[in-house]
Amino acid sequence: MNAIVLPNRRIEDWKYSDLRNAVDESAVAAAPTAAWTMASVEGAADIADLPAIMPRGEHGAMAELAIAAAKAGPYVRVAKGERAAVHLHLVEGGHGRALIVVEDGASLVLRETVRAADFANIAVEIVIGKGARLDHVRHAPQHDTVQLADYAVQVADGGQYCAQLMNFGSKLARTELHVVLEGEHAEAVIGGAAVLSGTRHSDVTIHVDHAVGNSKSRQSFRYVAGGHSRAIYQGKVTVRQRADGSDSMQTAKGILLGERAEIDLKPELEILADDVKCAHGAAVGDLDADSLFYLRSRGVPESEARSLLIRAFLEDAVTGIEDEKIRSEIWSAVEAALPAAMEPAP
Amino acid sequence: MAAVSETKKTVAELGEKYKYGFVTDIEMERAPKGLNEDVVRFISAKKGEPDWMLQWRLGAYRRWREMTEPTWARVHYPKIDYEDAYYYAAPKTTAKPKGLDEVDPKLLETYKKLGIPLHEQKLLAGVAVDAVFDSVSVATTFKAKLEEAGVIFCPISEAIREHGDLVRKYLGSVVPVTDNFFATLNSAVFSDGTFVYVPKGVRCPMELSTYFRINASETGQFERTLIIADEGSYVSYLEGCTAPKRDEHQLHAAVVELIALEGAEIKYSTVQNWYPGDEEGKGGIYNFVTKRGDCRGARSKISWTQVETGSAITWKYPSCILRGEGSVGEFYSIAITNHFQQADTGTKMIHLGKNTRSRIISKGISAGKAQNTYRGLVSVHPKAANARNYTQCDSLLIGRECGAHTVPYIEARNKTARVEHEATTSKIAEDQLFYCTSRGIPQEEAVALIVNGFCREVLQQLPMEFAVEAQKLVGISLEGSVA
Repeated sequence: MNAIVLPNRRIEDWKYSDLRNAVDESAVAAAPTAAWTMASVEGAADIADLPAIMPRGEHGAMAELAIAAAKAGPYVRVAKGERAAVHLHLVEGGHGRALIVVEDGASLVLRETVRAADFANIAVEIVIGKGARLDHVRHAPQHDTVQLADYAVQVADGGQYCAQLMNFGSKLARTELHVVLEGEHAEAVIGGAAVLSGTRHSDVTIHVDHAVGNSKSRQSFRYVAGGHSRAIYQGKVTVRQRADGSDSMQTAKGILLGERAEIDLKPELEILADDVKCAHGAAVGDLDADSLFYLRSRGVPESEARSLLIRAFLEDAVTGIEDEKIRSEIWSAVEAALPAAMEPAP
Repeated sequence: MAAVSETKKTVAELGEKYKYGFVTDIEMERAPKGLNEDVVRFISAKKGEPDWMLQWRLGAYRRWREMTEPTWARVHYPKIDYEDAYYYAAPKTTAKPKGLDEVDPKLLETYKKLGIPLHEQKLLAGVAVDAVFDSVSVATTFKAKLEEAGVIFCPISEAIREHGDLVRKYLGSVVPVTDNFFATLNSAVFSDGTFVYVPKGVRCPMELSTYFRINASETGQFERTLIIADEGSYVSYLEGCTAPKRDEHQLHAAVVELIALEGAEIKYSTVQNWYPGDEEGKGGIYNFVTKRGDCRGARSKISWTQVETGSAITWKYPSCILRGEGSVGEFYSIAITNHFQQADTGTKMIHLGKNTRSRIISKGISAGKAQNTYRGLVSVHPKAANARNYTQCDSLLIGRECGAHTVPYIEARNKTARVEHEATTSKIAEDQLFYCTSRGIPQEEAVALIVNGFCREVLQQLPMEFAVEAQKLVGISLEGSVA
């Protein structure tokens, strides 16, 4: 544990998130086991405590450390054909791990929130069975520490994984998602937004692996960065050899509001089969001048017009949340974070 | 249509053979095998270089010794033994030829096979050729006409001797000696290359063209190109490459530096059809090239156009540093890989100045068992207010065993900047092929036709002389890609 080398900008995958500059190696080594509480459990979910897990999915470097270092972690299981909704709440930081299993034909709405304000490094293993569905909403509020979360998701035939990642930034915040579409007609729909202010940082790094053909993935992210903040999207789609009929789409859009803010986008494609439909688009820019003019010509003051357009831009990112209650909660968080992000830099 | 039929004919004539796979038997003068300070001194002495140049080379060599070969690109090749190669090879000549008549007839024949009719160049007008045969430039035409305009177009070894101040001022100012492993190696051992200087306000009266050719077995070719367009000038430069067929891999590590001062424009076009290796992936050129342009002055413009069909491995990122206010950078690229070829190519657009604009159009075509990667960076620095970029990169896959990859980086640090990136990956649609074949167009010709259509936006950027050749190359390169 004393010989940890933290990922840093010299490692391509961590180019925009230099962990070595954000946290001490000794602090990482000394971190305790993270603690979750079940804020609510509805429906037929079995909850247990797991003394150890054998990771099966693909994880990032820090997640491997979390799995090795954490001494306990929750296990959520939804049995065949059952339905459930679970709210996981991270109350204490440190190294954490969890295992979520949604068996064939079952469905789970998983809501994840974070209270822990100290260093957190969690690894979550998610297994989605045939025809099963997981709706995953992660809400990471503003913090000023290092917050790392890593998910390895495996989706079987006809399974669906829908994730919504809402980030409000931290000293260094990184959410890593490794999704493997292991069966035909497996689907991953991943979206989210980041609203950042001050010197906050948010990094979303995603790898969707189309292991077999006729699978589908969608990614859509919207970023708003004010002040000195930095928003990062690194998304990679792999289509393996013979995974014909794979269909993938990635979009990442950002608006810079602060003079000193930065947005880095890296939508990557790795295609090894020929009968595929893969596209990506990425754009960074200011608000559309024509739309602004349209609103102003109708008497809407500039500041109001800007805020209206930014809200419209971000709204696209939350429409994917099916649960109305969760959606309105997330939207209130966006509304609350916006004024700081729109503040002119000091 | 004519070009396509012609392609078909050419392919038939070639009988699946690489057209330029012949070896000219000319006595070569070589430096001892391996790389050490003495070899660097030998090269410098052979070129009759001043001391500052030797010191520059030695500095690069010492630095190179401390560097490690980059491994981030998506290319795989056995480890190169840098000690097992010759770093200098030149046709043995006693005196410099004064005219074409004095040039070794065997050399002239080589050019003929390559399709560079040196004799005819004079009559055909429009293109001046400075042909580099391995390491020494052997013939330069149209020198007088260029001299009249004040344009300097000569081998870089000559420029070092005769225009030392200019070379010293600009050499290594775009690609520093310490830039990367291959550029540093080039700085130490570059044998020759091209130097162009276009004076203030001059529009270069013709398109400048250089054909490079790797000939001697087991020699790497390390050319160095330096082009300076002074205030308000314009120059268009064409680079074409062909190399003979050989079994062992050959290393090519060139450095190209472009400098555009205020209001100047440089258009740099490349058609690279070096030996790609055979159908089993045996042999072929390793093309590890550093190309970079610096838009140093306001309203300057640098435009790169490349058609990459050859080489076993291509590692190349022609880039633009947009320093001057309102400067413009462009990158148009076609990269075709077939059989076991690997290409990792793209560009960097570094927006430093206000109101800078850049445009990237990249078309990657992958067939057989080839891997084709676009890797690009668009970076907008905090002071680059109103910077604009548009990037489009499309990949076309032909066959089930090839790969097409896209790795774009966008880094925006100015709120008034606008950066847009789009990418698609697709295959040749069955209905497109069916449409063509049902009208009596043979399948192979149909593929060439569709691919040429896919590349149209880039082909349009090429000067006439190259556009025709490039269209044919597209067809030839994809030979045997459809069952």
